[in-house]
Amino acid sequence: MYRYDEFDARIVSERVAQFRGQVNRRLSGELLEDEFKPLRLQNGVYLQLHAYMLRVAIPYGQLNGRQLRRLAVIARDYDRGYGHFTTRQNIQFNWVALKDIPDVLESLAEVEMHAIQTSGNCIRNTTSDHFAGAAKDEIMDPRPWCEIIRQWSTFHPEFAFLPRKFKIAVTGAEHDRAAIRVHDIGLHMRQRGDVVGFEVHVGGGQGRTPHLAALVSEFVPETELLDYLEAIMRVYNRFGRRDNKYKARIKILVSELGADEFRRLVREEYAAQREHEKIALPPEEIARIHAYFAPPELTPVSGSDAAFEALKAEDKEFARWARINLHPHKVDGHVSVTISLKPIGGVAGDATDAQMMTVAHLAETYAYDDIRVSHAQNLVLPHVALKDLPDIYRELKAAGIATANESLITDMIVCPGLDYCNLANARSIPVGQAVQQVFADPDYQEDIGRLHINISGCINACGHHHVGHIGILGVDRKGEEFYQITLGGRADEKAAIGDIAGPGLKADDVPGALKRVVDTYRDLRTDKSELFIEMLARLGHEPFKEALYAAD
Amino acid sequence: MTSVRPKLKPETPKAVTAWETATGQTVWMAADGSWTKEPGQIAAFTGDEAEARLADALKQEGVVTDPYFMEVTGSGGITGRETLRETIRANGPTVAYGESA
Repeated sequence: MYRYDEFDARIVSERVAQFRGQVNRRLSGELLEDEFKPLRLQNGVYLQLHAYMLRVAIPYGQLNGRQLRRLAVIARDYDRGYGHFTTRQNIQFNWVALKDIPDVLESLAEVEMHAIQTSGNCIRNTTSDHFAGAAKDEIMDPRPWCEIIRQWSTFHPEFAFLPRKFKIAVTGAEHDRAAIRVHDIGLHMRQRGDVVGFEVHVGGGQGRTPHLAALVSEFVPETELLDYLEAIMRVYNRFGRRDNKYKARIKILVSELGADEFRRLVREEYAAQREHEKIALPPEEIARIHAYFAPPELTPVSGSDAAFEALKAEDKEFARWARINLHPHKVDGHVSVTISLKPIGGVAGDATDAQMMTVAHLAETYAYDDIRVSHAQNLVLPHVALKDLPDIYRELKAAGIATANESLITDMIVCPGLDYCNLANARSIPVGQAVQQVFADPDYQEDIGRLHINISGCINACGHHHVGHIGILGVDRKGEEFYQITLGGRADEKAAIGDIAGPGLKADDVPGALKRVVDTYRDLRTDKSELFIEMLARLGHEPFKEALYAAD
Repeated sequence: MTSVRPKLKPETPKAVTAWETATGQTVWMAADGSWTKEPGQIAAFTGDEAEARLADALKQEGVVTDPYFMEVTGSGGITGRETLRETIRANGPTVAYGESA
């Protein structure tokens, strides 16, 4: 993974010192909240319902053991013993006191971490495929490009005050696990002959007006990527709306101009830029960054492993976990392991300090010191030999994080909702827990197969409800929580925005209604290989809407 | 802040609530004008007195952040349109978290 050079280390430590001064002035009353708010937001500090929340950047979701241990220590010493992994592949601490935050940031800086670009109208943490560098279906590793984008965008003076926040995602596999079509810019790595490049999608996003990104360029060669991104950003900076926060995202600009006109403006800016001030990434610099992401030296092993097979035969729970939570790896005899943070009845994405310590230990001992955070709020050990799975499983089980549900119906994306968030209109977590309970039976879940339910507690859609196969949106009606159901969303290469099924439901009615929808699917599917989302496309939404609103 | 702040009539009992600047914890103004973290100590004010109390709170920037009126009963109990939000601010999340989850 990338390691800080002297410049990275210096700018991060200078930023911590600067923020310490700002916090001191806030605590003395010298800085008013209105003056302090933009400063704290530039350092990842929000004020939520009952405490400050610190959002820490995990660039493209990659951590090493030392970093995860440090997050655990922060959770233990400065928070209430846990942290929350987010759909932006970051972590949030919910209870940190403002007076302690400079010390927390100093502690993070020691392990090459920070909270820069986690808030404000800047280019945020670039996100990626959580199996990057490991997945069997991957064509190219997107992480070096995420890092190049990070270095280009951090403190870029031209992009510090954009009309609105800006999110970039990159994938290097045919199957999109990074939801690139619902990002401001989505980059899909492509190869033409010997030239590596990017398919560029612009103007995707969720929130109150969801849009799928438009294809703006089919191929931008890697040496020209930053120039091309800069041209997009300049068009956005110039024409993006600043008069209305709700119309300020680039998705609105692309939608109002139309993809063709937007593409023309970008090409015009790009041509002018290439003439006068091109960045032209030198190949040696591209190679230098790639060297940080060299894959671990894994020895291919053909066939399976005897100990792994023996435990599968002996322990049904292990066999189930191995069926569900392992992902094919490039190197034979290896897999990527998903550590589900979705225990039945738990809080999606939360991990205690002890659980973080366990994962750090496993990564260091068995998994080449590499940990990922997925946008589905789970953790991943990307490089694991089959022979080590029994030991890893035993430790995960002892730590309470061996739930076998990756991509199943209980592996729900759930935002913090009104239990924590100042923007939320309704609670998400208890509704998610109640839905999980209905589908808790492991055989039932496995029979249902891949089905994503995503919940947001407000229209800002942090819980990705628009792209859930089933989406749930919490709304407030005169002080009462209601939940609107959407059907047919998806976040992958066949991305779609879900359709609203009908009137909102009361919280208590949501689990039963979803069970009726799912049982309708089980009744009508051709066989188990037909996924819920595929069947929606085949049959339309009508049978499911009927099931949703049928009386119990 | 973005929480909904319904307009309250002068005669409607209201409390002054805010976030403690140093910690971010929820605080309410007690009857003597001090800040309390005990929901049982929430004081209800009305009319000009309420306005004066809020004005006083707004001058205490280093101590509390973003004070505002919250609807309460005459005895300081949380009530009104924002009951759920204010109850969560007072009591914390409605779900178990951390080790107890």
